[in-house]
Amino acid sequence: MRFVPSRLSGARSRTTRRDFFAFLGGAAAWAVPAHAQPSPMPVIGYLGSETPDRYASRLAAFRNGLAEAGYAEGRNVAVEYRWAEGQYRRLPALAKELVDRQVTLIVAPGGAEVALAAKAATSVVPIVFEMGGDPITVGLVSSLSRPGGNLTGVSSLSVEVSRKRLEFMGEMFPNTKLFAFAVNPASPTAESQLKNLQAAAGSLGLELLVLKASMEEEFDALFATAAQQGAGGLVFSSDPYFAYRSPQLATMAARRRVPAITQSRDFPLAGGLMSYGGDFEQSHRHTGNYAGRILKGERPADLPVQRVTKVEMCINLKAAKALGVTFPASLLTTADLVIE
Amino acid sequence: MRQSVFRRFSAPRMSLFEKYFVALFAAVVLPLLIAGGSEAWLSYRDRRAGLNSLLDAEARGAASKIQDFMEGIRDQLGWTVQLAWSEEPNDKRRLDAFLLLRQVPAVLSLTLVDGAGKERLFVSRIGLNRAESGEDYSTSPAVLGAREERAWFGAVTFQRGSEPFMTIAVSGNRAAAGVAVAEVNLKFIWDVISAIKVGRTGEAFVLDRQGRLIAHPDISLVLRADDTATKPLQDLRAAILTRPGEAVAGRDVTGSTVLAAMAPIPGVGWSVIVKQPVTEAFGPIYEAIWRTVGMLVAGAALAAALAYWLTQRMVRPIRVLEDGVARIGAGQFDHRIEIATGDEFERLAGRFNEMAGELALSQERSERIGRLKRFLAPQVAELIDRRGDEHMLDGRRVEAVVVFCDLRGFTAFSTRAEPEAVIHLLGEYYDALERAANAHGGTLTNFTGDGAMVLVNAPVANPDPALSAAEMARDMQVGVQALLAGQRAQTHQLGFGVGLAMGPATVGRIGSEGRLDYTAIGNVVNLAARLCASAADGEILIDHNAARAIGARLPLVELEALVLKGFDEPVSVFAMRLIAANSDSLSPDSSQRPTAGQS
Repeated sequence: MRFVPSRLSGARSRTTRRDFFAFLGGAAAWAVPAHAQPSPMPVIGYLGSETPDRYASRLAAFRNGLAEAGYAEGRNVAVEYRWAEGQYRRLPALAKELVDRQVTLIVAPGGAEVALAAKAATSVVPIVFEMGGDPITVGLVSSLSRPGGNLTGVSSLSVEVSRKRLEFMGEMFPNTKLFAFAVNPASPTAESQLKNLQAAAGSLGLELLVLKASMEEEFDALFATAAQQGAGGLVFSSDPYFAYRSPQLATMAARRRVPAITQSRDFPLAGGLMSYGGDFEQSHRHTGNYAGRILKGERPADLPVQRVTKVEMCINLKAAKALGVTFPASLLTTADLVIE
Repeated sequence: MRQSVFRRFSAPRMSLFEKYFVALFAAVVLPLLIAGGSEAWLSYRDRRAGLNSLLDAEARGAASKIQDFMEGIRDQLGWTVQLAWSEEPNDKRRLDAFLLLRQVPAVLSLTLVDGAGKERLFVSRIGLNRAESGEDYSTSPAVLGAREERAWFGAVTFQRGSEPFMTIAVSGNRAAAGVAVAEVNLKFIWDVISAIKVGRTGEAFVLDRQGRLIAHPDISLVLRADDTATKPLQDLRAAILTRPGEAVAGRDVTGSTVLAAMAPIPGVGWSVIVKQPVTEAFGPIYEAIWRTVGMLVAGAALAAALAYWLTQRMVRPIRVLEDGVARIGAGQFDHRIEIATGDEFERLAGRFNEMAGELALSQERSERIGRLKRFLAPQVAELIDRRGDEHMLDGRRVEAVVVFCDLRGFTAFSTRAEPEAVIHLLGEYYDALERAANAHGGTLTNFTGDGAMVLVNAPVANPDPALSAAEMARDMQVGVQALLAGQRAQTHQLGFGVGLAMGPATVGRIGSEGRLDYTAIGNVVNLAARLCASAADGEILIDHNAARAIGARLPLVELEALVLKGFDEPVSVFAMRLIAANSDSLSPDSSQRPTAGQS
C-alpha cells in the first residue's frame, strides 16, 4: 500500500509509511482489548513483628499502596497475616509457615529482623521488605538499583538519621555534654548505629552514655539510668521494637521526666518530646504499591529498592512545657509537625 | 430426452444466488469500502496533523512545569544569598537554611559559601550540620559556575547507583553574598511528572543530555538507572530529533506503540518527552474503522439476504418454467405453465403456453399432411405442407383430365411368375408411373393392382391440363414400354395401355377417419376408364374434349367412334402415336383392341 501525500498538506502533516503502519498496528491492538483472565485470588503473606494493633497505622498505609496498584484486600487479593507479637525469635517460623501456605508473595515490613526472617525462609517466593536501615549493609540485597533474587523493598532512612537525633538533642540542651543512647542489642543494625552515633558524638563534642534494652521490662531502667547519670536527654536508636512501643516510652519518659527523642512520630503524638525519622506512612505505602506490582507480574529483581524521600521531625510543645524546657528557634523552624 | 435436459443443466457453473450475491455485495460493500477507507485515511491525516500540534503543546507544557520546578528551587536558594557575609557566625542565616530545608523538600543538603569561597554553613537532612568549617570551595565547579552564570545546574548523578541527584548552585547579587550550593533529590520531580497526563493514559518523562532517564511516572524505572532498560526511550528521542516539530511513532519500555513529541528544558539541557499510546491517539479513527467494518459485515449480510430472497423469487418460476418446457419438449403439448408473478416470467410462461398450443396445431397439421402425402403427388403434398392449407383438397367441381392406365396380360403373368418377380416388376412399374406423373404435375390418386389413376388440374391447378396429361401419358408409355421390353425377352406377354378423358368432375377427399383418398367422380372418369380398357398395348386413347384442347400440338389420329359400355352413342376417340416406338406395335389400327372393362 502506498499513499501519495497530498500536495496541500505541509511538512508538518506529512505522514510516513512507518507511522501509518504504527497506526494500523494500533488499530489491531485497539480492537483486541486485553482481558484479565480470571484466576484464583492471589494471597499476600503479611509477616508482622508485633500485633495488628501496633501495626494499625502501618497497615492502613500498606492498604493505600495496594489500592494505588489496583488491589483491595478481600476483593481481588487475600492477605494472610502472621504476627510475632513482639517475640522476634518467632519470626523465622512464621515466615516458614507463610512459605508452606504457598502465598503469592511475602510482605515483610517493620525492620531488618522481619526481612531477614522472610529471606531465610524462601529464595523463590517474592518478598517485599520495609525497613529503616540500609538493606545492603544487613545483607538483604546486593544493589539498590538491581536487587536481584526474590527481594525488593523500601528503606525509610531512619537508621541513617540516628545521629541527627543526637544533634537535635544537643541543639535543645546546648549546655549539656552527656546524653544517653538507647540501643536494642538484638537489632541487626545496633552495631552500625552505635558506631555512627559515637562518631557523631565525637564531631559534636558530646559524650555518649550507651544503654541497652531489648525487652519492655528493661525500658524503665533506661530512663532511670539516664536520669541518674545526669544525661541531658535520652536518644533512641532506630529500632522497630522501640518504635512500636512509642506510647509506653512516652509515658515512662514523662514519669521519669527525661527528655527523649525517638524515630517515630507516634512518640510525640503520645506525649513524648520529639521525633526524627523516615516517614513510615510513605515507606509502608510504597511497600503496598510494590506488592501490588509484583502481583501484577513484575519481577522483584526488576524493582529497585526505594528510599523514602521524606524524613520528618515532630515536636510536642506540651511535653516540653511539662519538662520545663523550650525548643530553640532552629528546631521550631525545622519541625514538620508541631504538637501544641 | 427430459432426463438428459435435466442432467445437462442441473449443475450450473455459478448459481443465481452467487451471481446476485456478488452483484449486491459489490453494490452495497464497495461504496462502503471506498467511503470508509477514504474517510479513515483523511481523518487519519487530519488527526495526525492535530496530534503533532497537540503533543507539541503537551511537551512544551510539561517542559515548562519541570522548568518551574527547577526554577522554584533556584529562586528559593536565591533567598539565602541576599546579604553579604560578615566575619561572625550568623544565626539568622542558619535559621534561613533550616527554613529552606523545610520549604523545599527536594533539597537534601545546603552549603553556604562566602565571598571568599569558604564554607560557612552546611545543613543536611541526613548528615550532621556544620558551621564555619571554612572548607575551601573556591575551586569547586558549582561555585565557579554559579559565579559566572548566577545559577548553575550540575550534571545528574545517581547516588548509590540508583537515586538521581543534582547540584544546583546560586550566587548572590554581589560576590560578597557568596554562593548557595544545594544537593537536590530529583526523585521529587516525580510529583510533577506523574501529574502530567497526555490524553487519558499518555505520560511524560525526562531524559538528561546523555539520555539517562531522570523522571518517569514509574519511579522504579528511574531508580533502576539502567540504560539498556531505558534504551527504547532514548531511541524515541533519537527518532524525534530526526524529524523536528513532529510527533513520531515508536515503542516505549513496555513495547507498546506510542506517539511522542519532545520539548527541551533550557538551562539544564534536559528533554521532556510526552507520549500517548497510538491506540488512544487514534481511538476515534479506530472507532470509525470498526464502524465501517461493522457496516461492511451488515452490508454483506443484507446482500446475502437480498440475494437469497431474489434467488428464491427467481428460482421458483424458473423451476416451473423448466419443468413445463421439459414436459412440452417431451410432447405434452396440452401442458400449460401456470405462473402468476405479474412480471416477465408470467409473460414468458404465456409465450411458452402459446408455443405449446402452436406446436400442438403444427403437429396435428404435420400428421395430417403426412397422411395426405400417401396419396398426393409429392409436389402436392409439398404445396400443402408449404401453404399449410388443406382447403385445396376440399370438394369442388373442376375441368379435370383423368388418366387411367394398366398392364395387359398381368394376371396371367402373376400366376406364372415367382412372387418376388411380380412384386419387383410392380415396384419398377409404379416408379415409372410416378416419375411421369411428377414430371407433368399429375396427381397419382390410387393404384389398384396393375392399374393406376392420375388426375391433372386437380388438386393442383394446371392451365393446360390436356396437353400435360397427354405428354404425361406418352412418358408413361415410353417408360413402361422400356420396362416391358426387358420382360418380353423373358417370354412374358405383357402390354400397357392408357386412356385419358377431359371433362367436368367432382374432386375432393373422400373416405372415413381411418382411410382417406383424394379422387374424382364424374362421367369423365368412366370415360377415361373405358378408353383405357379399349386401348391396345402401347396405345393412348384420348377423348374428343382432350383432343380438341390439345389441337395440333401433338400428333393425334382420330379413330372410328367406339361403342363403349355405359355410353348410349358411339364415342369419338383419338389415339396418339409414340414417335420413338416401333410402328408395328404402336400403330393404332393394327392391334387387337381388348374388350372394354378388361384389365
